[in-house]
Amino acid sequence: MEKWFDVPEKEGSSVICSRVRLVRNWREYPFPGKMTKEQSVEMTGRLMNGVKESGAFSGSRSRYLYLDRIPDLERTALLERRAISRGVSKKKAAAGLVLSEDERLGITINGDDHIRIQAVEKGAALTECYRRADQMEELLGSRFEYSFDEKYGYLTSFPTSVGTGLRVSVVLHLPALSRRKNFNSLTSDMGRFGTLVRGLYGEGEENPGSLYQISNQKTLGQTEKEIVDLVAKAAAELDAQERRLRRTAMGQRPVACADEAYKSYGVLKYARRLTRKDAMEFLSQIMAGAADGILKMKEPCSVYGLMLGIQPANLLSQAERPLSREELDAARADFLRARLPEII
Amino acid sequence: MLCEQCRKREATVKYVEVAGGVKTEHNLCAQCAGKLDLGQYSALFEGEFPLGKLLSGLLGIPDAAQDESRFAGVVCPVCGTTYEDFVKNSRFGCGDCYSVFDPLIGENIRHLQGSERHVGKRPAAYGDTAEKTASGEDLGDQEAKAPEAGEDRIQRLSLQLKNAVRREDYQEAARLRDEIRGLKEEADQNGKMV
Repeated sequence: MEKWFDVPEKEGSSVICSRVRLVRNWREYPFPGKMTKEQSVEMTGRLMNGVKESGAFSGSRSRYLYLDRIPDLERTALLERRAISRGVSKKKAAAGLVLSEDERLGITINGDDHIRIQAVEKGAALTECYRRADQMEELLGSRFEYSFDEKYGYLTSFPTSVGTGLRVSVVLHLPALSRRKNFNSLTSDMGRFGTLVRGLYGEGEENPGSLYQISNQKTLGQTEKEIVDLVAKAAAELDAQERRLRRTAMGQRPVACADEAYKSYGVLKYARRLTRKDAMEFLSQIMAGAADGILKMKEPCSVYGLMLGIQPANLLSQAERPLSREELDAARADFLRARLPEII
Repeated sequence: MLCEQCRKREATVKYVEVAGGVKTEHNLCAQCAGKLDLGQYSALFEGEFPLGKLLSGLLGIPDAAQDESRFAGVVCPVCGTTYEDFVKNSRFGCGDCYSVFDPLIGENIRHLQGSERHVGKRPAAYGDTAEKTASGEDLGDQEAKAPEAGEDRIQRLSLQLKNAVRREDYQEAARLRDEIRGLKEEADQNGKMV
């Protein structure tokens, strides 16, 4: 079954994917930071079984992983694909992950909070993501009583998630907008509206791939719908600004734009060794070229899927043995040569 | 004026944060302001940034240490989290911590979140307002089911007003403002009659 990130990007849009995370805690136990080792093991097991019995993950190829029992490499690969959070990827205590085969729906158990439901979709689909996460929340809520307070709403380990426990985000590809001098002031302006923009693979100039994530800052005092609408609106605004800049660039310097896209394609199609940074930058050019209708692929291609595939742990987990740095760069070039479709 | 973060250089950057109608002012030097950017916020949402530091640094509480001594010894009876634990790790140990530490950190949560009251979804067991609120619809018919105390109602409407302003939905904001004004006048008159 196709993973969500292998769905091709839409031409004419800078929106890469939408994600909703909903955290809850089970009233029966202290929060993860204060649980004994025995409690962690017991609760993780009970929640894993509860999810299984709920029948929500009916696909026979859904995965039930005990994160503390799988190799570090596999955990890092899950982190690179953003199926789990950084916090839980480093956690030593018992923790679990239930993941649908397409990885569109996942539940992390005993991370920073007892339950973290995540729904992801390619493209602009926050409302759909929220609907699926909320459905899952209801299903689990009928089995496990959530920690809730009249004043503060759903209670969480960190006061930064309390209330709705809802964090929604959209990943955008902003190669033109992020190079503008006023990009920093633009992102801080967005902060005033309660959204946060950050580079997905670093800040400022050092964000190879030019992918940015916009998410809600606050979780309390707004309804879920207000939060979803706020981020969706802000993301649409960023997308519109990026589109405008790119149209102008293509109108003024069509040959330069095409040259960047074709050259990048050429490098990735023939290179024998690629660092992550270089590969991300060339893929970013291809992503822009495809979105702008310059590069036409013979078969549908998810450039974002390739970006996830060339991250170190994902490459290493495909290899049969540990690789040196140079071998890894070679494996990255092989990976891209094999997967980049021909162009028309 | 000296920069409120480093307290060494002259503050040249004034940074005003408006969150949910609450205005907070910061006076920073260029270096500290540059560092502030968004890096701190993102760390905050990864949950790796200690809230204590953030609150004193970002929200301009001059000396957190002074407060700490006053609050030392406050312990959550359920999970054993102390106020110091909370300041250090910026995380709670259990659901009860919220009510235990509420008097100490309620104000900070309000600053951090721009609100101190949940208005979203509720578990089914906590009453039937859940569906309406979650879908963002008007709460109009709730009054028929359970008469709400005047003050609670005003508080709830004020919150909706803040959100309407944040959404730039000024029509709705004006409607809410008038409704709140009406309720307040009503309350005043009732008070006089008694």
